[in-house]
Amino acid sequence: MFTVIGWLIGLSMFALMVVLVVHVLFALLLIVPSWRIFERAGYSGLLSLFHLVPVIGPFIVMAILAFGDWPNGEGRPRPAGS
Amino acid sequence: MGIDIAAILGLFGLTSAFALVALVLAGWMCWRIAAKAGLPGWTGAGAILLTLTGIGSLVSLILLWVFAFMRWPRDGLALAGAPGAAHAPMARGAAPMAPAALPPPPRALADRRGWTLSGGGTTLRFDDGRASYTVTGEGSGGPDELVLADPSVGRPHARLLTAAGRIGLQDLGSPGGTYIDGARLLPAHGPRDITAARTLKLGNVELALSRT
Repeated sequence: MFTVIGWLIGLSMFALMVVLVVHVLFALLLIVPSWRIFERAGYSGLLSLFHLVPVIGPFIVMAILAFGDWPNGEGRPRPAGS
Repeated sequence: MGIDIAAILGLFGLTSAFALVALVLAGWMCWRIAAKAGLPGWTGAGAILLTLTGIGSLVSLILLWVFAFMRWPRDGLALAGAPGAAHAPMARGAAPMAPAALPPPPRALADRRGWTLSGGGTTLRFDDGRASYTVTGEGSGGPDELVLADPSVGRPHARLLTAAGRIGLQDLGSPGGTYIDGARLLPAHGPRDITAARTLKLGNVELALSRT
């Protein structure tokens, strides 16, 4: 009985580790460019680590960039045809 | 209603109304982010809406990387068009143009710390105390000179312009060349805002730009 429970716990831990590693690897694909964008905007690149927050992390990152005043200044799109 | 919302959502591959709300929200935010970088807003929203297509989110991820490392129009807006900008390459050996004060940039920065250029065994520090500094490979003792002792650096090589917490760079036609984050800066480009740049290359000397 205890052997079965031990196996189940072990498998659960392994599955959890796999999920965590995949999550971190995928988050890294987002963190690297986001870090660069934050620095170019004038923020600390550390803010890109919000991507590690499951589900809502990318939305937090986008909200900071979309609704915050960029310390390094913001541009305006050029009118079409100019 | 006669319209099955779930069927419509399913048509676009969305499994719930939450996904639709998240998609619209993300598109709106990316529109704003792209506009702040000086790009048309629809490019940002379009990158998000691409996830609705059969290509999936891989293209959006690639576009995110492209956006992060491309040259943003915003970077060239601040100082391009400044009076005194060189619009023709200088003849070799000709005297550099007189330093020109910069007009007020589109948005002044509150950060008034100085600047540091470090690399090639040299550290150059300067601040807003002067409107322009001349980077040269051999100095004559002028207070506005930043000496970068290297054979590949011209005499003079480039001009650094400061205004309202921002910094600009203008190539003076040195054969060694000037590069901003790997992109060649020509004299015809005039002064370019390098406030957000990370690395400069003057001749063979690579310099990291940071706040003091």
